Amino acid sequence: MGIGRRKFLIRCTECGVGITLASIISPSGFSSLSISSVRAAQLPRAKGLSSVEARHYKKLENKEIECGICPRKCKVSPLERGYCGTRENRDGVYHTLVYSRPCALNIDPIEKKPLFHFLPGTTAFSLATAGCNVNCKFCQNWDISQVRPEQVDNYLLKPSEIADLAYQYSTPTIAYTYSEPVIFYEYMYDCAVEGHKRGIRSVMISGGYIQSDPLKELLKVLDAVKIDLKAFTESFYRDYVHGELKPVLDAIKIIRKEGKWLELVYLVIPTLNDKIEDIKRMSAWILTELGPDVPIQFTRFHPMYLLKNLPPTPVSTLEKIHSTAKSMGLHYVYIGNVPGNKAENTYCPNCGKILIQRTGYSIGKINIIDSKCKFCGQEIPGIWR
Amino acid sequence: MTKSIVVILKSSHIIGEPVESDIPHLIELLEKGVLKLTAKNNIKDALSKLFPAVGKIGIKPNCLAGRMMSSSPVLCQAIVKLLTDTGIDENNLIIWERSERELKLAGYKINRNGKGPKVLANDSPNVGYNNEFSSFRSVGSLLTRILTDMIDYHINFPILKDHSIAGLSGGLKNLYGAVHNPNKYHDTNCDPYAADIYSLPEIKNKNKLTIMDCFKIQYNAGPSYNRKFATDSNFILMSDDPVAIDAVALDILEDIRHKNGLPDLKKAERYPSYLETAADSNHKLGNFRRDLIDKVEIIV
Repeated sequence: MGIGRRKFLIRCTECGVGITLASIISPSGFSSLSISSVRAAQLPRAKGLSSVEARHYKKLENKEIECGICPRKCKVSPLERGYCGTRENRDGVYHTLVYSRPCALNIDPIEKKPLFHFLPGTTAFSLATAGCNVNCKFCQNWDISQVRPEQVDNYLLKPSEIADLAYQYSTPTIAYTYSEPVIFYEYMYDCAVEGHKRGIRSVMISGGYIQSDPLKELLKVLDAVKIDLKAFTESFYRDYVHGELKPVLDAIKIIRKEGKWLELVYLVIPTLNDKIEDIKRMSAWILTELGPDVPIQFTRFHPMYLLKNLPPTPVSTLEKIHSTAKSMGLHYVYIGNVPGNKAENTYCPNCGKILIQRTGYSIGKINIIDSKCKFCGQEIPGIWR
Repeated sequence: MTKSIVVILKSSHIIGEPVESDIPHLIELLEKGVLKLTAKNNIKDALSKLFPAVGKIGIKPNCLAGRMMSSSPVLCQAIVKLLTDTGIDENNLIIWERSERELKLAGYKINRNGKGPKVLANDSPNVGYNNEFSSFRSVGSLLTRILTDMIDYHINFPILKDHSIAGLSGGLKNLYGAVHNPNKYHDTNCDPYAADIYSLPEIKNKNKLTIMDCFKIQYNAGPSYNRKFATDSNFILMSDDPVAIDAVALDILEDIRHKNGLPDLKKAERYPSYLETAADSNHKLGNFRRDLIDKVEIIV
């Protein structure tokens, strides 16, 4: 009776670590993901959920609380949970149920996050817990993001153990990804601290639906952030994301202002968020608020979850959008989910030569030396080592 | 438009949580309610009208608030006895909730495979959720297999409570326990989500009766138990119209709130507008207009 397992984690043969997948079906019918068939069997499994006091919440009358992590500001009565399904009010104290309870672990190329200007060709120890603070109708990972944590199998791994595993696998980065890291804020924060103690960086792959105070605090322990900017209209966020655009734009500005490395991804969905006028408005906003050097990747949609009635994005649409964003003055515009497309490569905005050649998650020669174009000396923004 | 009947079954001697020795009296109350609702003269015919063929019947209490404010296990026993006394096989009954933990905390004894009515939950072994998404308007969810695969008919068995977001936790809201992602459906006072969830065919078509436990009422600070705003009472509501019974429950809740100096639910910013949505032309789940509801009081 288990639900069909979608294999959204990819092989990591590029990484040279011989990772394979193991799929675990829980009694509830949901499946979770594991790091490697060999290692996964050795990792401890959680028998229940965590009961660690959450950060960033207010206590209200009658033991109600107001969550302060994301812009929803959920008011939660005793025994109830917030929208994310991972935080529960227990007698007037708000608890995170997913601390040390990752349900997905894997070693991925950093290009899969995708981060294109951050340690290219390296791997990231990638993890997620169940839950999400929005409900995108096109979610690729709904079977972990749109479920409650008791509906998947969870590992039991403290932040120090995550950092140790990342160290053992020689990954320079821990990535909080797959579902929505904002909802496992406390765990992400503490993993990042433990990672830094071992010289391992941390990156958050997020929808950016987070309040400014917790974000600012979190940025102190992160090294880079990738934000899924899902559209540039409030109506899309309302109808297809169950969120809001403005707080996401505010979060993006804060990340940039705080000086953290930032990249954007925009999933192009036919007829819903592919209007050229919107792409122009968004590109203009990026230029004004963030500058031309923030990379943005336009990725191809495939029918998924509650949005199965639309076709995959035509490559011609992606190429038109790519040209539009470039013509608006953005320096680093990419196309994703189309392996072999020339817009996967990084080009020098000055001399036009290829700086990083990519095919899917495979990396060719990197022509960046000391953060500069090898051919013309143009400074290339990013974290290169 | 056809009028709906909501029966108010008042006990002359039970106030507050019933005890086991009350079961014969509770059965008498329930029997009178079912007869009135079905316009039949004997209980066997009445139940045959509700459950025309042999099949499995699910009963869904609301056990979120633990022992002090959950649908009464004793009243549940009376419902079971009413059904089995008329020839329904006890092995065809499934009492269920979201989690076994909630059932146990509310005083129900888990019975996964033993003889008699099964008492189990969505998280019981070999239960879980259906593979396919069930969708209606704003809702896209996996439904518990109890509803999709294990039962033919359903009795909704909520308890009357205030709800800090929905305003009213009654019959429609109780079916949040049937979906895998209830936390996604609390925005805007649960409107339209409570109506949309109930409109899923597996719920709408299978639910034949709502029996609302009103022996204890949480009239403020719900849905969890809060002693300060809990009161004992002496009645059960029963209807085959899921909207009408909630409409009557809403009026009762507002009345108790008023008597206790609390603002009405509109002023408290949690008016359960999902009930009006449930009655609209997109849902047609039942009657919300009071002129289309006949309240029938029976005292035993």
